[in-house]
Parts: sequence; C-alpha cells; structure tokens
Amino acid sequence: MIKEVIPLGVEGIVIYVVTGVLLLVSFLKDKKKTLMGLKKGYKSFMKLLPVLLPLFLFIGILVTIVTPEFISALLGENSGILGIIFGLVIGSITFMPPFVAYPLGVELLENGAAMPQVAGFLVTLMSVGFVYIAMESKLFSKKSAILRNMISIIGAIVVILIVMVLY
Amino acid sequence: MKKFIMKNKFLVISMIMLIVITFIDYTLSIKALEESANQIWIMLMIVPPIFILIGLFDVWVPRETVVSLMGENSGIKGMALAFFLGAFSAGPTISAFPLAIIMIRKGAKYSNVLFFLMVWGSLKLPIVFFQITTIGLKFSMIINLTMLVVFIIGSVIMEKVFTKEELIDIEKKAQEYAGN
Repeated sequence: MIKEVIPLGVEGIVIYVVTGVLLLVSFLKDKKKTLMGLKKGYKSFMKLLPVLLPLFLFIGILVTIVTPEFISALLGENSGILGIIFGLVIGSITFMPPFVAYPLGVELLENGAAMPQVAGFLVTLMSVGFVYIAMESKLFSKKSAILRNMISIIGAIVVILIVMVLY
Repeated sequence: MKKFIMKNKFLVISMIMLIVITFIDYTLSIKALEESANQIWIMLMIVPPIFILIGLFDVWVPRETVVSLMGENSGIKGMALAFFLGAFSAGPTISAFPLAIIMIRKGAKYSNVLFFLMVWGSLKLPIVFFQITTIGLKFSMIINLTMLVVFIIGSVIMEKVFTKEELIDIEKKAQEYAGN
C-alpha cells in the first residue's frame, strides 16, 4: 500500500524548502541560466531512471522477505559466531530506513541478541549496500563499487571487535 | 537474449524471485509488488529537488571552484568539506549518487567523493541523533568514531588503487550521466 501521500518526513521537507529558495534566488538572478540548469537536471534524471527502476522492484521483494521477525530469528539469543556472520550478511543485503533499523536493533538486544551481532548488523545495514553495487558499477566503476563496500564491511568487523572488548 | 539478461540482471533476478514466491504464497508477491510501488513512489518524491539542485549546481558553480575546494591539491580542507557535505545532508544514499557524479564532473578528487558517499550513508547528523536516542551514546560513539576513521583511511587508500586511466574513465561516465 502507498501509505502516505508525502512520505518525506522532516528531512524531505527541508530539501524541498532549500531547493525552492535556491531556485527562486537563481531565477531572480538569471532566468536563462536557471532554465539551463533545470534542463540539465531533468536530462540527468532521465538518464538515471532506467538504472533505478528495476532496482526498486528488487528492493520491494527483499523488504517483503527479510522482515524484522526473520532477522530476530537469525540474530537471536546464543546465535554466537554464526549470528555475527548472519548479522553482517543480512545487514549488507537488506535495506531499511534508519528509523526502522535502530529501534529494531534495540528490540534485538532486548530479546537477548548479543551486542556484537547487533553492532555488525546495524553498521552494514547503514553503510553496505549490495543492492546498490549494480547501480554504483554503472555510475562509477565495478572496482570502485566493490572496494567501497569492502571498506564498510572491514569497518563493521572493526566495530564488532571493539564492541567485544568494551562490553 | 544473453545480452539482455546481463544488462538487466536485477530485472531478471526479481522476476524469477517473484515467480518463485508466487508459488509459495501469492499474497507475498502482491505484498512485494506493493512494496516496490511504495519504494518507487518514495524515490519519486525525494528525487526531484535533488536533480534541481544538481542542475543549479552545474550552471552556477564553476569547475575551478570545485577543483580548488575539493580537487587534487585540496588536502585536509577538501576532506573536511566532503565530510560536512555528507553529514549535513538529508535523504537516502540513493540521492547521494547524483551529487557524487556532479562533484566528479566538476573536478573533485575521487577520494573526497568516496569519503562523501560513505559519510552520507552512515554518519549523517540527523541519523546520529536518532541513533543516540535509541541505542545509546556509548554504542553510537563506538560505531561512528570507528567508521569515521575507517572511512578516512579507506578513501585515501582506495584512490591510490586506481590507475589514471580508470579515474579518467569514471570522470567520462560522470560527464555522460550529468546530463550532457
């Protein structure tokens, strides 16, 4: 279901307001230049759209399969090293807005999941996007996309180790 | 046929998954399609201002400015700017890609662009505040400080891994996607 007409939140409203103000200033300063800019933006959007659309079909399916219950089951109590690996993998693959992710992290902890599992899951969830790799490869390069995500996975492992030492 | 599949990997994988799910439980596939429509709708709501900003950026900010602020010899200043642009941003990572493209096109150093992308993904300030209120200050700080250090080291090392030709290639692609 399309739940809200404007699913933007405060962030989105801020972007719209800032863009509106800048657009107005630009328009008052130089009409021709502004129109040229809008045309460029539109062209760029049309070029990226075909890359984006199939991606969202995939994300829709993923979000349906990988539910919070599914994640809870895999990262639950006594999941140990396997739980850490699951956390990293699920976090890398799936896709979740932060306003869902962090409360889920808290819930996992309350349900008995250990800190390292949850840490790895949250970090990769936010910083690794396997779903985006295809798009990133098209926009930049495959090597760049893979390396950039690798850095974040390494970061997640470092976080896990630090959490293990400190908690 | 083979070429089509390779070019539309996501479409093909999604279709296969959708067919498999339909056999298991067709209500799930309906849910999946609704979720996709929802995601596309969210994207279409968020994306227009981003592209307007990119267009304006393109016509108003000269290449020399970007080169001096974030280019090859911008040093720590360039990195700091990349950090602030990423941290004071709003919107999902997907909206950072077009901005990264325009930065490359205007001559920003690739390591700065990578750093910007990584900061945008996980160190955005609105997210950090939310993070602290949910998972607590200590846990949040461990995550964020570690990731910041890893991102700085990572983006610097990463740029060194690319050859000149590869970087030129990336810039060419950026020119193409930036609406030229």
